[in-house]
Amino acid sequence: MLSIKNLKASIEDGTQILKGINLEVKPGEVHAIMGPNGSGKSTLSKVIMGHPAYHVDEGAVELDGKNLLEMEICDRANSGLFISTQYPTEIPGVNNVEFLKMALNSKRAYLGQPEIGDDEFKKLIDEKMALLEMDERYRDRGVNDGYSGGEKKRNEILQMAILDPKVSFLDETDSGLDIDALRIVANGINHIMSPEKAVILVTHYQRLLDYIKPTYVHVLRHGKIILSGGPELALKLEEQGYDWIEEK
Amino acid sequence: MDAIARIKQLGMPRRNDELWTFFPVAKIPAPEFPDACASEEDFSGETDFAALLPVAQNARTMVQNIADGSEEMALLKCNNDFGRTVLNIGKNAKASFEILDNKVEHQISAERFDLHVGEGADVEIFFANPANDLPLKFRHFSIEQSANSTVRFSSIERGNGISRVSLDCHLRGNGARFEIRTLNVLGGSSESHHRLHIYHDVPETTSIQFSRNLLDGSSRASYDGSVIVGNGCTKAFSSQLVNTILLSEDSSVSVKPVLKIYHDDVECTHGNTVGELDADQMFYLVSRGIPAEKAKKMLISSFARELFYPLPDSPAKRRLLQVLG
Ligand SMILES: Nc1ncnc2c1ncn2[C@@H]1O[C@H](COP(=O)(O)OP(=O)(O)OP(=O)(O)O)[C@@H](O)[C@H]1O
Ligand SMILES: [Mg+2]
Repeated sequence: MLSIKNLKASIEDGTQILKGINLEVKPGEVHAIMGPNGSGKSTLSKVIMGHPAYHVDEGAVELDGKNLLEMEICDRANSGLFISTQYPTEIPGVNNVEFLKMALNSKRAYLGQPEIGDDEFKKLIDEKMALLEMDERYRDRGVNDGYSGGEKKRNEILQMAILDPKVSFLDETDSGLDIDALRIVANGINHIMSPEKAVILVTHYQRLLDYIKPTYVHVLRHGKIILSGGPELALKLEEQGYDWIEEK
Repeated sequence: MDAIARIKQLGMPRRNDELWTFFPVAKIPAPEFPDACASEEDFSGETDFAALLPVAQNARTMVQNIADGSEEMALLKCNNDFGRTVLNIGKNAKASFEILDNKVEHQISAERFDLHVGEGADVEIFFANPANDLPLKFRHFSIEQSANSTVRFSSIERGNGISRVSLDCHLRGNGARFEIRTLNVLGGSSESHHRLHIYHDVPETTSIQFSRNLLDGSSRASYDGSVIVGNGCTKAFSSQLVNTILLSEDSSVSVKPVLKIYHDDVECTHGNTVGELDADQMFYLVSRGIPAEKAKKMLISSFARELFYPLPDSPAKRRLLQVLG
């Protein structure tokens, strides 16, 4: 469903960060991407979403056969792509719940569906907030405004739950979460996940993968996927780090 | 010296006049005055042309007295090019004044407001009118505050012409507090200029100035705010913050903070930021499926609305936020 072929992208000064990424994600799969700091994991998520700081030099990205790279950012999202950023942006003046409703209605408009009714939306948000055991305080505040690191991550998954994307790219959702929050958020992700959907998880630690079992584990280094394997690869990386890979 | 004589003595505003630094003075039409000044008040100490003009044009004066301890809400509207309003607010009174725009459409309009604020009084004065097309609009405020009084001045400017607000505020009693929040939402070739003098005349007084600008087209905004803390005026607090978002290449803002402090034990701060819409915030919103035009509107509206959030729940806050949608 998500197909990334030989993707190369660079930043404004011409430095190439992604140097030919290949990744095939099928429905029902969970892909874990690991790799040292600065290897290009976050960049990959932003490039497929179309962040203006990056220029695509080469390659193709398709979602269900549609060329994502030629689409407006909002259309990429409304077609079913979701990225949860490593450092969620704070937008103080925009109410969190109104923002969620606006985002959901944008998707509905894109798909030619009517706006969601107030009661239906309230039911939806109540249900998802309960799923993620989120505090009522989230409702009245600005988007991520003054949230702690962990609260922001939970709010990202709330958005995922409301927007119900086909492919979710979750960038270090586990970092900043305490032990209980990690369990709650991971369960939430499992709950949202279904055989028609797929998840890409960027993580530095095995512990998230104890909760969300990956189909594949990939190692990204210097802008390339240098090794792929099954869940056991994550365990090996946890033990031995990344250096042995290049030694091979 | 009456107002006509004083204007003649001062002459027309010039660019090198420090009260008019950023204003396109050439656009002010030379006034024709009546034969005699109806008001016998002495204006020899007044230096601002805009403060004198309505008086020199024999503007009708409306006087409103708010009794001690009473509560009052009023709409202020002058139906003429020139107008003067004198508000005498009694001790511990609570008053809310909304200024409505003139419907007259001549070359220039000028209004003057005099506020005498009694001890412990709580006053809000605000305007947030739909865009008006007056080519040139002056509003002058002369405010005197007694001990423990509070004045909150709030405004939204979004006209199509050129407007200038001049304001002189004297904090004459301990515990007096003055707050001003002004928002300019400008496009086309419109201009909005603010010129303030805030005098901390006694110890323990507070002034808060907060201005935000959203400038599109070739619009221009300026903020010229002076804070004067007198000798011996300990524990004065003053802050001034101007935030601008330039939505176009040709729009511009000028900010001139002036602090004249004749004492050590005071806290005065000022800040000025100019930027564009936050690229990360934009990306965040559109990456959630919200179309770029809508996302931009959300960010603009939140930037504007934030200015008025700190206001207490009052007619001013409700009206200003309602106008912003
Ligand atoms: N907008 C940018 N401007 C400048 N450099 C950038 C930009 N985006 C990414 N980089 C650089 O590209 C490299 C990859 O960054 P990226 O954030 O993708 O790494 P990462 O794999 O997510 O690392 P981490 O594990 O620390 O989150 C880094 O060297 C980073 O400094
Ligand atoms: Mg990263």
